[in-house]
Amino acid sequence: MTPPLDHDALREQVALYAIGALEAGERAVVASHVRGCAECAAELATLAPVSGAMAQIVTQHDPPAALRARVLSSIALSAPAPPRRLAGAWAPWLAAAAMLVLATGTAFYAAELRARILTLEGQLRVALDRVADGERRVAVALRNAADAEAPLAVLWAPDVRRIDLAGQPAASRASGRAFWSPTRGVVLTAANLPPLPAGRTYQLWFVTAQQTPVSIGLVKPDANGAVRRLVDTRGNFPEPAAVAVTIEPDGGVPAPTGDKYLVGLAH
Amino acid sequence: MWLAVLSTIADASLADADRFALQRMVRGDHAALGEVYDRHARLLYSLALRIVGRQPDAEDVLQEVFTQVWRQAARYDTARGTVAGWLVVLTRSRALDRLRRERGEATVDIDGPPVDVVDPGTSVDLQLVTAEQAARVRVALEALPDAQRVPLELGYYEGLSQSAIAARLGVPLGTIKTRMRQALLRLRDALAEPTP
Repeated sequence: MTPPLDHDALREQVALYAIGALEAGERAVVASHVRGCAECAAELATLAPVSGAMAQIVTQHDPPAALRARVLSSIALSAPAPPRRLAGAWAPWLAAAAMLVLATGTAFYAAELRARILTLEGQLRVALDRVADGERRVAVALRNAADAEAPLAVLWAPDVRRIDLAGQPAASRASGRAFWSPTRGVVLTAANLPPLPAGRTYQLWFVTAQQTPVSIGLVKPDANGAVRRLVDTRGNFPEPAAVAVTIEPDGGVPAPTGDKYLVGLAH
Repeated sequence: MWLAVLSTIADASLADADRFALQRMVRGDHAALGEVYDRHARLLYSLALRIVGRQPDAEDVLQEVFTQVWRQAARYDTARGTVAGWLVVLTRSRALDRLRRERGEATVDIDGPPVDVVDPGTSVDLQLVTAEQAARVRVALEALPDAQRVPLELGYYEGLSQSAIAARLGVPLGTIKTRMRQALLRLRDALAEPTP
């Protein structure tokens, strides 16, 4: 066992270390020392060109011309190895194992993907159904809102006129009102209309100043005999001198035939 | 002086070209290896021939070196020095391995995989010099007394251990160490001399 070398002794060896002329044990000691000693590292740096120069000063010879082709052909079929190369005889087996793992993993992955796609497709269908349902509901709601809004539009119209309707002998307890706007339409409200016999309907009429009745539409009271009915009379509807509700056969008639139930004069 | 500067600039651009060629090798570009071969084969072949002594062996060394370069291009650390320096280190290392195997000595990597870029056999950074500097070093080497020059050449070109050199020359080990060191310092001084 040699005693540990001090700095001076190690520095003596740096020159020989620089040209790779130390034996393995000495080399390791000097290498370790140089890493931690700035002075010896600097010394080594000045000697690196000496080592290079000694390689360069040998008598120069041209390599045989065939050597180039030999060298290039020896690498022609081999790809350069990636930075981390599997070394030794295990490499092919590791590569094969890796391929197997990869293939198995790929198969599992494919199956998992397929299952996920099916699930997603199902979820997509449900979501689309919900969207379609939602759109239907929105359309209904908008329609309902519009329906609710339309009578108000008539009532709020600046040109609206109110025509009070009185129950006639066939329905003495009935009463009603017609709100008519030339630009919006007519809203009929009524109460206490008698229940309709089978095969009969109420029909709403405008009676013109010339006594001509014009059918405005059919009227169906609810179970309590109440009516709230909007009819769009914009267009070819005459201005009413009177409004009447008669009882008629189902489907209505072109001109009134039955008893009057409600009548009101426009003023 | 101007010649030295121009030669330094030329060396620098060659070093860049080498680095670029190495990157191309990583991508599988065979022509890049051909370029590097064309630039450095003469230097490397001459060094290998100086060490192994026989032309077929020197050719084998070069083939080993370029195969190793092709395989390890991606692992080359540009921070460690020039590609040319790395090639010289590899060539000297492979050539000395061959010589040691012939002598029946164990080599660092005789039964392992191809050695790493940081070659444990010559783990020391090596730095190439300009042609003008090399000429001065050659003159200085030839001017050394045989007692210094021969041990140095045995160590550098034949890979003999210092104790083997001592045994061959019949000189005490300590004396061999001292003479080799003196020789190297003399060559270093020659390198550092101002350009005439």
